Amino acid sequence: MAPFVQSNGASILEDLFIILHSQNMKEQLIKIQKQAEREIDSISSLEGLETFRIQYLGKKGHVTSALKKLGELPPEERPEIGEMANSVKAEISLMLERAKNRLKSGEIKKEYIDITLQGRAPARGRLHPIDIVNREICDIFVKMGYRIVQGPNVELDYYNFEALNFPKDHPARDMQDTFYVSEGVVLRTHTSPMQVRVMEKQQPPVGIIAPGKVYRSDSDVSHTPMFHQVEGLLVDKGITFGDLKGTLTGFVHQMFGKDVALRFRPSFFPFTEPSAEVDIQCVICHGKGCRTCGNSGWIEILGAGMVDPAVYGFVNYDPEIYSGFAFGMGIERVAMLKYGIDDIQLFFRNDMRFLRQFY
Amino acid sequence: MRVSLNWLKEYIDIDYSPEVLAHMLTMSGLEVEGIEPVGQSLDNIIVARIVSVAKHPNADRLTNCLVDTGKEQVPVVCGAPNVMEGAKVAMALPGITLPGGIVVKKGKIRGEPSMGILLAEDEIGLTDDHSGIMILPDDSETGASLTSIFPVKDYILDISLTPNRPDCASVIGLAREIAALNGNAIRMPDIQYQEAGAPIDELAGVTIEDTSGCPRYAAGMIQGVEIRTSPFWMRYRLHSSGIRAISNVVDISNYVLMEMGQPLHTFDYRMLSGHRIVVARAKDGDRFATLDGQERILNSRHLMIRDVEKPVALAGIMGGINSEIKADTRDVLVESAFFDPITIRKGAKTLGLATEASWRFERGIDIEGVINALERSLSLLAELTGGKVCRGIIDIYPSPHKTPLIELRVKKTNEYLGTSLTREQISPYLRSLQMEVQDIDYELLRVKPPSFRVDIEREIDLIEEVARMHGYDKIPVTFPMMSSDAGADDPTIKLHDQSCAVMTGMGFSEIITYSFVSPDSADKLGAGEDSLLRSFVQLQNPLTVDQSVMRTSILPGLLDTIKENIDNGEQGLRLFEWGNIFVRRDNAPLPVEKIVLAGIMTGQYEQKAWYNTVRETDFFDIKGAAEVLLKSLGYKETVFKRDGITTGYDQDASCGIYISDRCIGHLGRVASAVMERFDIKAKAAFIFEVDIDALAEKELEPIMKYAPFSRFPAVKRDLTVIVAEETESSLIRDVISREGGNLIESVAVFDVFKGEKIGANRKTVSLRIMYRSMEGTLDGNRINKLHERITKSIMNETGGTLSEG
Ligand SMILES: [Zn+2]
Repeated sequence: MAPFVQSNGASILEDLFIILHSQNMKEQLIKIQKQAEREIDSISSLEGLETFRIQYLGKKGHVTSALKKLGELPPEERPEIGEMANSVKAEISLMLERAKNRLKSGEIKKEYIDITLQGRAPARGRLHPIDIVNREICDIFVKMGYRIVQGPNVELDYYNFEALNFPKDHPARDMQDTFYVSEGVVLRTHTSPMQVRVMEKQQPPVGIIAPGKVYRSDSDVSHTPMFHQVEGLLVDKGITFGDLKGTLTGFVHQMFGKDVALRFRPSFFPFTEPSAEVDIQCVICHGKGCRTCGNSGWIEILGAGMVDPAVYGFVNYDPEIYSGFAFGMGIERVAMLKYGIDDIQLFFRNDMRFLRQFY
Repeated sequence: MRVSLNWLKEYIDIDYSPEVLAHMLTMSGLEVEGIEPVGQSLDNIIVARIVSVAKHPNADRLTNCLVDTGKEQVPVVCGAPNVMEGAKVAMALPGITLPGGIVVKKGKIRGEPSMGILLAEDEIGLTDDHSGIMILPDDSETGASLTSIFPVKDYILDISLTPNRPDCASVIGLAREIAALNGNAIRMPDIQYQEAGAPIDELAGVTIEDTSGCPRYAAGMIQGVEIRTSPFWMRYRLHSSGIRAISNVVDISNYVLMEMGQPLHTFDYRMLSGHRIVVARAKDGDRFATLDGQERILNSRHLMIRDVEKPVALAGIMGGINSEIKADTRDVLVESAFFDPITIRKGAKTLGLATEASWRFERGIDIEGVINALERSLSLLAELTGGKVCRGIIDIYPSPHKTPLIELRVKKTNEYLGTSLTREQISPYLRSLQMEVQDIDYELLRVKPPSFRVDIEREIDLIEEVARMHGYDKIPVTFPMMSSDAGADDPTIKLHDQSCAVMTGMGFSEIITYSFVSPDSADKLGAGEDSLLRSFVQLQNPLTVDQSVMRTSILPGLLDTIKENIDNGEQGLRLFEWGNIFVRRDNAPLPVEKIVLAGIMTGQYEQKAWYNTVRETDFFDIKGAAEVLLKSLGYKETVFKRDGITTGYDQDASCGIYISDRCIGHLGRVASAVMERFDIKAKAAFIFEVDIDALAEKELEPIMKYAPFSRFPAVKRDLTVIVAEETESSLIRDVISREGGNLIESVAVFDVFKGEKIGANRKTVSLRIMYRSMEGTLDGNRINKLHERITKSIMNETGGTLSEG
């Protein structure tokens, strides 16, 4: 191997020679050091290093030569320049030392690293996509000032239905296929019971977000008997339907993007009035119409409304003083939209080939 | 609800396309889920005349027809029983695609040439009638398109009704809603008939014994009807609403049901003993055969229509076989009644029977519309059956309905909606919905809703109507002032976020499995007879046995998941789940519900790569994971003890996890019998479970706090002892910390060795002790003496010896 420094050695020496004959020794010393720094990294053999050493530090090397010229300087300048020359010598020695370590193995002319090899990877686990989306949703509301609450999955009929203004023997109960446990006990069909559980414990202001598992006796490509919901509730003085629109608009824009349109249309839930379904512009076709949105350009994503005064009756809030809104959404549905998942059953099969796709 | 757009247009002018109408309805709360075109290919179907009919030589049921298409005469083989010379029929020529997707071809049928198909109504997509080919009016023009006779190009709207709007469950109900939106007037159907029969009072009587179950019962009669097929227009409309046509009398009551929303029932008069209707509760154990042919066992919750001897109908749900309309029925009694919603709902629920009638009664029909619907049906019966309507009707209505007067405050409305509407804007919205509005002053309106709006009782109900009519999209978007919620934070939320971060950081992936499991999961885990794992919360109506009880342990889900993934070829797995377990309590309605975090590892520790040698996961991997998790959550003083109480674990390779003497979890190897019962094809699996609710308790809560550290150098001393194999390293550690006190900075076991050289049942344990003082640099002599003392104590307490080497 012909080291770079050797092939170019002659011309460098010439340069240096000229430099050494110039008047400004300080500058010359700095140049020597810089030159050395440039060369040292490209030396790839111990022989090359030895040549380098001789060129700079040898008896006839640049630094030695410079030191020899000290005598030519005025006496008052000699100590300073001398000190500097010694420090340059020390620096270059150190460079040599480091380079020697680098080439220690002797045979390796040049270290070659296959940077395309996979790195030593610490194991990495994934969050479940439902958890990822749930966090994203909750974080948005937590930043708005909501508090996260949780409650039981096996729930009293009172909290799941009655106190939410689903009277016994009312057709509104047919809206949800309920799993029954015993007289007065069900698997909660929504996370809305948390509204009542929280309100009966505290007076307004109430601002909560309640994520969790819910259960309905239904199973096909778009239904699983267990799924996840997030429920939100805000009750205070002077809360309006306009505030509900604003809150959910802010949420949708953060969750799906600032340019996603949304619409509120009248609907019915026993525990809210006025009630609304909230549709967002289809994120797949951007409103043009596709299979996901059933060609309507809109996708139903949230149920919402102003808390029905009947609910306040169960928790002793005065509807003449307080008002508020509630909203709820299915997390699976949001996750399916976000990630383009077409079979809800995948979430609960926990197949690694599925789970590994989320991070 | 499915409704024909053409039918709707009979009651109200609609100037919009079906799509625009669907959008308007959707945005006013009647969600249109589909628009289905009907009769779009009728242009291609022609009127043909049957010139002659001859027997098919090779098939008894087929006929060879010669058919005039208007251009030529062609042979057609037909299987319908009603082919007839001279009849005008609907025909599809070769090349036409029928609504069902069938392409008509010319060809031979059983050897005879056929140049097209004579069509039945169902083949054209008009009704579900397939009893014979469609016979067209005699004056139809041969060769003309079918659309010249039936302009049935139509759309069926599929509307999803919310439970609060039963008033929209009829064509007229929908027309009313459209009228409120477009301002056009409603055209109500013409009710005109001659009362040519005998006075009804002389023929029949009605008694209501249960007036709370039946607040109103009206009846009318028609004599001398002729039972036949209904005209095409009626059958078409019923079909478009998803109702099967049967015969004129029955079809008329279904037609009025769909048109006006009032369920009607028709009785064969001669079958009513005593010619009297009695509305009363059934007796427990009564048996009754309903129209669908099923015998039902009744109880006192069921409201019945009876005659003087027997029940004849399940009120509001379904009629009985014993009084149904038959081909030879001549005199018909028509019932139009209002039944109590809750009574009907309970009755229908207990029988598992839901009909168009019960659906409407449960939600509430218009009690003031009962007579109108009865008269409409009598009018249609007179028109279509050839019978004579009896004079008068019976109407038992002991306490007439009182419509509520509701006060609506303008200010409250605006405060609630965030709008600034005036009284002048609000009143027309309500009037468009047929409400009577009285202005009391600028601030107050007094509103009387129409009787069909059973959902409007309170001020808030009116505010919703105002919002709906104004349009939700016109309500301004504002943001609420958030005051901070007064409640306390749930500590498990933070634990969840931290745990998930640590677990994924250690390579565990999160899974979510169903909270319900199979009851045999406790057996599979090897739970004892009295184990809490058997205290299942049982579902009354599970979808499958595999999902019939709530899990008492989180392990079955994890074990099933690794089984599936191993079967799919995964070489090594690390999974965790955070979820609730449920343990039934006999003294409380709700079970104990606990949050548990569990991790599982199995197979290769890591994937084979250029830099490693792959090994199998072992006990110390799961233990390490549990240790790192708990330390990362701030629990420093965690103790691992064999406690032998862990179902599902291998007793030799498992332990309890303790904090402050409290068991907060378990870890170890899954028992091999459990591996077998879960059919897991792996050598071993390792699990830890942690009780998150326990960790979240106040007294266990770790406190993150700074403690000063020594600035003086440490002294390192190594020590190797030979001890009995069962001597636990924690014993040696305990001795060291007891003897060394606060001079011990750390103790680490850096080698454990077993082998012949050491001797049977013995092992060497090598430890590195770091000594360090807070006060100053340690004196070598002092440490040597201390180290010696420690060594001696270890020998004494373990019975071990010092290793030479
Ligand atoms: Zn779309």
